Amino acid sequence: MTLTKLLERLVQLVPVLLGVSVIVFVMMALTPGDPIQIMIGDQIVTPEQEAQMRRDIGLDRPMVERFFVFLGNAIQFDFGQSFYHRRPVADVIIERLPATIELTLVAMIIALVTAIPLGVLAAVRKNSIFDRIATVGGLLGVSLPGFWFGILLLMLFAVHLNILPVAGRINYGISQGITPYTHFLLIDTLLNGRLDAFRNALAHIALPAITLGLPMTAILMRVTRTAMLEVLRADYITFAQAKGLSRQRILWRHALKNALIPTVSVAAIETGSLLGGNMIIETVFGWPGLGRLVVESIFVRNYPLVQAAVLLYAVIYVMLNFFADILYTILNPRVKL
Amino acid sequence: MSVIEQSPPVVAESLFRRNMAAFMENRLAFGSAIVVVLFILMAVFAPWIAPNDPYATNLFFRLQPPVWMEGGDWAYPLGADSLGRCILSRIIYGARISIFIGAAVILVATSIGILAGLAAGYLRGWVDVVISRLVDILLGFPYLIFAIGLMAMMGPGLGNIILALAYKEWVIPCRVVRGETLVTRELEYVEAARALGASGRHIMLREILPNILSPVIVVATIRMAHVIILEASLSFLGLGVQPPTASWGAMVADGRAFILESWWVSTFPGLAILLLVLAINVASQGLRDAFDPRFTE
Amino acid sequence: MRIFHRTLVASAIALCAAPAVHAQELIVGFTRDADTLDPANHRNRETETIIRNIYDGILTRSSDMQIHPEIAESYTQVSPTVYDFTIRSGITFHDGSSLTIEDVKFTLDRVVQEGGMGNGQSSPRASLMGPVESVEIMDDTTIRISLSEPWPLLPAMLPHQQIVSRAHVDAVGSDGMATQPMGSGPFRLADWRRGDSVVLERFDDYYGGATGIPEAGPACVERVIFQVIPESASRVAALLSGDVHIINELPPHSMNQVNNSPNAQVMAVNGTRSFFLAMNNQGEIFDDVLVRQAVAHAIDRDLIIDRILGGTATTIDGILSPDAFGKNHDLPSYAYDPDRSRELLAQAGYPDGISITLDTEGSLRDTAEAIASLLTNAGITTRVQVGEGTLLTQKWRTQGGAKEGDMYLSSWGNSTLDPFDIFVPTHRTDDRGNSAGYANPELDALLDEAGVELDRDRRGELYQQAEALVNADVPYIYLWVPQDLYGVSTRISNWSPSPDSRINLHRACLN
Repeated sequence: MTLTKLLERLVQLVPVLLGVSVIVFVMMALTPGDPIQIMIGDQIVTPEQEAQMRRDIGLDRPMVERFFVFLGNAIQFDFGQSFYHRRPVADVIIERLPATIELTLVAMIIALVTAIPLGVLAAVRKNSIFDRIATVGGLLGVSLPGFWFGILLLMLFAVHLNILPVAGRINYGISQGITPYTHFLLIDTLLNGRLDAFRNALAHIALPAITLGLPMTAILMRVTRTAMLEVLRADYITFAQAKGLSRQRILWRHALKNALIPTVSVAAIETGSLLGGNMIIETVFGWPGLGRLVVESIFVRNYPLVQAAVLLYAVIYVMLNFFADILYTILNPRVKL
Repeated sequence: MSVIEQSPPVVAESLFRRNMAAFMENRLAFGSAIVVVLFILMAVFAPWIAPNDPYATNLFFRLQPPVWMEGGDWAYPLGADSLGRCILSRIIYGARISIFIGAAVILVATSIGILAGLAAGYLRGWVDVVISRLVDILLGFPYLIFAIGLMAMMGPGLGNIILALAYKEWVIPCRVVRGETLVTRELEYVEAARALGASGRHIMLREILPNILSPVIVVATIRMAHVIILEASLSFLGLGVQPPTASWGAMVADGRAFILESWWVSTFPGLAILLLVLAINVASQGLRDAFDPRFTE
Repeated sequence: MRIFHRTLVASAIALCAAPAVHAQELIVGFTRDADTLDPANHRNRETETIIRNIYDGILTRSSDMQIHPEIAESYTQVSPTVYDFTIRSGITFHDGSSLTIEDVKFTLDRVVQEGGMGNGQSSPRASLMGPVESVEIMDDTTIRISLSEPWPLLPAMLPHQQIVSRAHVDAVGSDGMATQPMGSGPFRLADWRRGDSVVLERFDDYYGGATGIPEAGPACVERVIFQVIPESASRVAALLSGDVHIINELPPHSMNQVNNSPNAQVMAVNGTRSFFLAMNNQGEIFDDVLVRQAVAHAIDRDLIIDRILGGTATTIDGILSPDAFGKNHDLPSYAYDPDRSRELLAQAGYPDGISITLDTEGSLRDTAEAIASLLTNAGITTRVQVGEGTLLTQKWRTQGGAKEGDMYLSSWGNSTLDPFDIFVPTHRTDDRGNSAGYANPELDALLDEAGVELDRDRRGELYQQAEALVNADVPYIYLWVPQDLYGVSTRISNWSPSPDSRINLHRACLN
């Protein structure tokens, strides 16, 4: 991949993001429902006051005008005011982002840490009992409906065994005095040297992260296994074996290094879909992330927030793909830069 | 001409037979395929199998436990839901929704995906640019959020769920078809057909398509499992089919409020989703191993 | 290294102990997060519940729905359109500054005036102040609110406005107010973890709140946390495991479990929300009063209350709650009698019954399906159609516009328990909430008269007449007023739920 090609890829992002903006705007504009009516509910209002409320959030303007204002402002990273929070949408989203990213990353780490060794073992002991169990186990992982499995886990660990908390990210009492350097609680608690708080945060994130990470584990295990099988057949491995290197050394040093390339790039891309797919897990576990906020916002017609959040998801997705490509290039010596 | 027209399908067919044989040998995959067929039969013959009317409410049997628990009754083998409806019967009828939506979405999406993918891969040029860009844009949307937004826009209903999921789902077969087409269009027999003056439509549908169908079918079965979970997720969020129609996802959603006292209401429909999706996944894995040469080890 | 080791051991010990809950930390398992902490910039009930613990109002309600002066010492009605409020002295804001009459005027102006929020924005709460025209300072302790027309509801609606500090708003601006609340209430904000929790700490210099409600003084507990737990089963689980001490919106089917638990109990309070079936009075089917009566006889309200609502609702035969002012307690009831329904249908020209669609939103699905099966049983074949609340509002609350649809299961809230903001919108011809499309000039005249009548007894009589008039026409099937259910830890004392669904915690103690 040359520098020009890199730039070309970056330029291609522009029409994609523009397309996403258009689609999400039109989609929200065509969705019936009225945020003002939702706000007022059963309460007293006069028609003049209703019109005033509509003016205040800019919904009295024609749709085309609203679209160009949205686009013009979005280029300057201004996504407007959230109808309900009455604050800049960007602020509201950024406040919720650390929780979502932390959950996604922990889920991905759980997936990688279990998937890679299992995938390697399955490849090495191809067609053994272990391979078959791992394969079926993996398929079981992708087949579990997260919203259902999450509820069962919650019932077991938080209610019946009562060893894990029901909701939230950390207990307030324990979290006091922790300086939020990164807003990722698992990192902040460690940076503050507060192992008790770290354990508490870990207990909170465990169930949602496992539920979210399980399908990913299955996918990554499959990718690792396939890649590993391919690598093990390659010439240089045969050559290394001929040279008399130990089996362990060949496996973990040479083969795995190359087999990891597809695993890592798939993981990078899938991180994007995890980010956009965790609203159900967030709802079930009361996790204060962005996904739950976006779904709630669709239901209450909070147009600016939905538009900005979807745009953000698209940017993250596109960037992750981009980095996966670069990663692929760096890790794989056969692909020339 | 006739030779060119005939030969690739013949090759495809014998390959298909060989692959089918390989698939049959995979006992686990074959067994799963049978489970899937049983689910389909259950859906088709639901009225004859279900012990009760799935829509009949009886508030006096509200939240009745399954037969093996205290207070259970053979009248409701898996217990009753919050309106006193038979959970087993609703699961049996719910199979209709899950399988129908899964199949319909995949059918619609795969058809669109094949056409778009063939056009993009064979015609290249601006057609390819437009389709590929559209694919990129749609991939940028988180799947579930896109579907939720579409459902809010279109309103609830069976047809709308299928549309909401198919709007994005077609992208996946499209990418597969486009990639395969790019390779296949350079093959000798395609070039020969082109040299003999065959029309683009003929080449795309008659020459290329039969030869790239295997990976498309494999992808379609894998995606079907995924679509079933997505439909259940939409129903879970209250955006599914209209009541009193039984949908597994909606049954899990309705039952979760009662899960502390009456675990059976949402546990059994969840198990049904798991079982069907797992069976499809195992079977499609077997299909992939048998049909897709790149994955045969 | 040794320090590190010690931390490790200490934290291991801390973890082995049961989750250490601070003795004076009261945690509320709450359905949703606040939208904002600016009392003037939202239109959301749960948001106000949280804000109410940080800010006090001119007037407040006790848990038995009586209006009490809070920041005010007393108030008088000078004329039909003029109210005078005497403000207490010696109240301080959380920053130590004194609450003055200027702050009161500033707060009300901020809500009432167009553009009052700054940046050309007006407060979304303006309409909750009705026809308030001006707010004037009479002297150091007296403020006068003038109305453009008589509005008996003013005292009942004033608890919805909380007093802010003018200096603080000037300093942080309306944008800052969203996240930096500074009031004169019993608690001050310690931390707001968006989407997760709102943490409040006791304000030690609190003046004590309304004098009419006993046991005033600074709050009993040191800290209050509103922990967001949207899933109802999770909220119940958190209560049972002792993680939280009060939960709102306890589902009726969990009552037994909570009551059977040694460390929690159910607290119920009559709600203020009336549930009803709106029938399209302008439609072909339901323009006939016989058909509407047939529906009334087809529904076994007691069965649904008993089976689905856990016995926690009271049936109504008119729109008003039994606790509401002006309630007519002698209304005739339509008894459950499906055979009578069939007869009435036959009389109306439908010997073979009718087929209708029942609209409702997702949260009422269970009830709607139960009603549908009762109706179907009486010859009114009913199909339930679930839609989003906002779409149903557009479809049914047409304010006189044409209506499609047959029947709509819905509700109307009435936090003041005054007929004015429930009877008028739902029954006056072409009004905002008149889903049934009911039009009765005689009723309109009664409601209009009652709306400006200042003699309380006469006003009550007018509403009683109105209810009797409507009862005969059955434009709606009046169903019930459910109780609001709370799960409360046995460690909590001196707290009881309030019908307006507020959770005021300044008197609550944790033992």
